[in-house]
Amino acid sequence: MTPCPVALSRDLPPGGVKRVFARGRELALWRGASGQVAAWDNRCPHRGMRLSHGFVRGDRLACLYHGWQYGTDGTCAHIPAHPELCPPATIRATGCDAAEAGGVIWVAPEGYAAPPELPRGLVALRSLTFRCDAARLARICGLEAAPVLYLPDHPSLVILPNPLPGGQVEAHVLTAPLPAADRVAAVHLTEALRRAAEAEETA
Amino acid sequence: MSRDHAVNDWYPVADTVRPGARATRLLDTDLQVAWDGAAAAVTDAAGTAHPVQIRYGHVWTCLGAAPRALFEISEAEEPGRRLVPCGRVRVRCSPLRAVENFLDIAHFPFVHKGILGAEPQTEVFPYAVKIREEVDEVWATQVRFHQPQAAKSAGGATEIRYEYRVPHPMAAVLYKTCPPRPEAWDVIAIFVQPVSETECIAWPWMALYDDESSHAEMVQFQQEIFVQDRSILENQLPVRLPLDPRMEIPTRADLTSIAYRRWLKRRGATYGAMTEAQ
Repeated sequence: MTPCPVALSRDLPPGGVKRVFARGRELALWRGASGQVAAWDNRCPHRGMRLSHGFVRGDRLACLYHGWQYGTDGTCAHIPAHPELCPPATIRATGCDAAEAGGVIWVAPEGYAAPPELPRGLVALRSLTFRCDAARLARICGLEAAPVLYLPDHPSLVILPNPLPGGQVEAHVLTAPLPAADRVAAVHLTEALRRAAEAEETA
Repeated sequence: MSRDHAVNDWYPVADTVRPGARATRLLDTDLQVAWDGAAAAVTDAAGTAHPVQIRYGHVWTCLGAAPRALFEISEAEEPGRRLVPCGRVRVRCSPLRAVENFLDIAHFPFVHKGILGAEPQTEVFPYAVKIREEVDEVWATQVRFHQPQAAKSAGGATEIRYEYRVPHPMAAVLYKTCPPRPEAWDVIAIFVQPVSETECIAWPWMALYDDESSHAEMVQFQQEIFVQDRSILENQLPVRLPLDPRMEIPTRADLTSIAYRRWLKRRGATYGAMTEAQ
C-alpha cells in the first residue's frame, strides 16, 4: 500500500513538530536537530498528552505535560520528575515508518514507507487543505482518485492527496522548476482548484 | 457510563458571588439555576426541582434520589480566612482528568513554568499516599516542591509543602504551606461540575490567609493557572480517563493519580472514565 504524504520536507525544519494524519491515524511528526524525521502516535504513553504539542530538544521530543523525553527511536530517555532514573525500555512512543523523498515526508501507518516513483526534479510548491474528500479533489482535477495526481491541463503540477478525518483532504503540491512568476501563478491555480472543489454540489 | 453512580453526588452549578439566573448542564441534564443572594433553586427542563445547598461559595445540587453527604472542609469555618470563589473555567475534557491534573505536581515546571515550577528543579521527591478507609478519601502527604512563585502572597521562590485530599470523585482539596503563616495551611479546592463525560466546568475555590492581595488579583492568579492547565486537558487522548492500568504508564511521581484511579474504580465512579482498554 502506498504510504501517506503527510508534509512537505521544507515545512518541518529541524526542531519542528506538527500533527499529521495517515489513513485516520493521528500522529506527531517531528524532526530532530540532526535532521532525522519520526512519526509517532500522537499521545505520550505516560498520560496521553498529544506529543504534537511537545518541544524538540536536540534529537529528542519532549512532552509538554511532564517533559518526558523520547529519542528518535521512540524510547523514553529522560523523566524530569526522576532525573536520576534510567527509564525502563518498556516506556516508548509507538511509531510508524517515515521516509523522505523528493521533498515530501511519507508515512506508512502499517509496514514500511516506500515512497512512490515520481518524476525527478520536482520542487515543493505548497500544502493546502480542501474541505472535500479525495474523490472530489481528483474529479475537479479531471482525474480518478489516485495516490499521485498528474494534472492533465497543467503538466508542470503534481498533487499528492492525503485524506484527513472529517471528510477533508490535504494536497501537497509539487511543480517542475518554474520561474518565480509562474510559481505565483501555480499558487493561484491551486487556490482556484480549492474554490471550485469546495463550491461543487455534493453528489 | 455509570451515570447511575454519579447522580447521587452533589455538584456545584453556580457560585454565590452575584445573584442571578443561569442555564447550565449537569451529567447531560439541562438545568436552570437561580440564586437571589439568600436562597437558590435548581430545576430541570421538565420543571422538577432538585435539592440545593449553599456551601463553600457555591450552589450545589444533586440529581439522584439518594444523595451522599457533601464532604466537609473545616477550614471554611476558621475565622480570619478569606473565602475566595475563583470563577469558572470550562474545559472540553473528562471531569476526572481535570481532578487528576489538580493532583499532579510533576507538570508544574512545564505547564506553569516560572510560577509553580521551573527547570532544572523538576524532581518529585518521595511522598506518601493512602486511601483513608475510615473516611473513604484519597490522601497524599509529605509532598514538597520547589516553586518560583507559589501563591500571590509568596514574595519569591520557596520550597512548598503540600497535602492533597480527594473526598469526592469530582472534587479535590489542596493544603499548601502558607507563606505569611508558616504554621497554617492555605486551602485551595477544585470543585468540578461534570457537564458530560467529556466536558466539565472547574470552579476553583480558596480559603486562605492573605490580607495583601485584592480579590481580583487572587482570582486572576488562579485563572491564569487553570487556563494553562486547560491547554493540556483538552489535548489528552483518550478524552475519558483510562482506569485500565495497561493504558497509561505511571511512575513514582504519579502515586496520587494511581490511588485516585484505583479508588474511582473500586467505588464504581466511572462517569468520565474508560474501564477497559479500547
